[in-house]
Amino acid sequence: MKLLVSCLIVLAAVPAWAHHSFAAEFDVTKPVKLEGTVRKMEWINPHSWIHIDVKNPDGTVTNWMIEGGSPNSLLRRGFNKHSLEPGTQIVVEGYQAKDGASRANGRDLTFPDGRKLFIGSNPDEKAPEK
Amino acid sequence: MDWRFRNSLILLAGLASVAFGAPPGAPPATTAERSPRAADGKPDLEGYWSNGSVTPLERPKELGNKAFFTPEEAGQYAKQELSKPEPPGPDTDTHYNLAQYGLDKSQMNIAANLRTSLITDPPDGQIPPMTPEAVQRNSDRAAARKGHEFDGPENRGLAEQCILWGNEGPPMMPVGYNSNLQIVQGPGYVAILQEMIHDVRMIPTDHSPHLPSTIRQWFGDSRGHWEGDTLVVDTTNFTERTPFHGSSENLHVVERFRRVNADTILYQFTVDDPATWARPWSAEIPMTKIKGPIFEYACHEGNYGIVNSLSGARAEERKQQVAK
Repeated sequence: MKLLVSCLIVLAAVPAWAHHSFAAEFDVTKPVKLEGTVRKMEWINPHSWIHIDVKNPDGTVTNWMIEGGSPNSLLRRGFNKHSLEPGTQIVVEGYQAKDGASRANGRDLTFPDGRKLFIGSNPDEKAPEK
Repeated sequence: MDWRFRNSLILLAGLASVAFGAPPGAPPATTAERSPRAADGKPDLEGYWSNGSVTPLERPKELGNKAFFTPEEAGQYAKQELSKPEPPGPDTDTHYNLAQYGLDKSQMNIAANLRTSLITDPPDGQIPPMTPEAVQRNSDRAAARKGHEFDGPENRGLAEQCILWGNEGPPMMPVGYNSNLQIVQGPGYVAILQEMIHDVRMIPTDHSPHLPSTIRQWFGDSRGHWEGDTLVVDTTNFTERTPFHGSSENLHVVERFRRVNADTILYQFTVDDPATWARPWSAEIPMTKIKGPIFEYACHEGNYGIVNSLSGARAEERKQQVAK
């Protein structure tokens, strides 16, 4: 059956914006707001992933993986591997993984002062100050 | 000024200045002298192009038989489409604040287009009705898939598996972001690299015949030839796993590429599949020249998403098990 049903994908139904289903991967009933320190950013396809260390109320630290947009688009906006250096403080709002792991989508990414991480940084404009 | 809107305004200025003397639906014939030539004397289609578009495939019903906008209407329509806010989350299937990642439409490169639909034939701008056979076939497909969508990676869509995306075709359709492609011409071949999602289609132009019908390929089997200044590409030998709007593996696609000016290729296609539609239908998409390069999109290199989706499905199953 698996092989059969794998044949049945209607290509035209690929959503315009999503490489895969948000609802399958993340849980809309688990919104998260995380403040953390960038450990590394993976410039990989089909989505970038930002790893951040988030301090828990009990003093322990959890490493969260945050899913971001496609590297191609970010590159065209003037971002490069130095645009988000380890140690940068960021705030992430998104939704946690359905399986309960410390993964979330990065719906809104800001610096602690509220500036958007990836906005206003096309090659013609000044990159955000870190 | 917000740079995204600035880009849109530049684009709209372009629309106004470039477009509206000659509707793309009826571009002036380009003489051999005026058409740029490649080294072998053939018309030069080489370079980086965007087939991004805000024009819908099918004409919005409320426009009836109106096939073309006026220049003012087209400008207004493009402005409206490019500045549309993302759909509100989280109930929609939207991952992100799209603008943050450069994924919103205002960042697309689009060619001017007065058409109200990409479909040029039938004249009503709509895909012809499906045959009863095709309706049944597609309904059987959907029924077989239902309930097994997350059984394993091979049950996920070809796009999610990073095998290919539906926009690649043929026929090639605009895609939501990075709607970019590169055309390279060489002796006996034309190659098309699509940024999303990394595939190169090799099109022999040496008058060789199609592959035997027993050999089927993801992108079918394309063969090209020149008719005057137009590259005509004929594709057959599709698989049942790559339906285009519900088509069968016997889909027949004819594409036409013509460089109508230095910055524009008019891309037209006709699809025919008697097992799916009562009649062939045609569409056209003007492609605009862009600055390269095409960025690598090694789609599966970090495809954590498919693992996470399956893992999410297993977690859901456990939850339901506990609830029983």
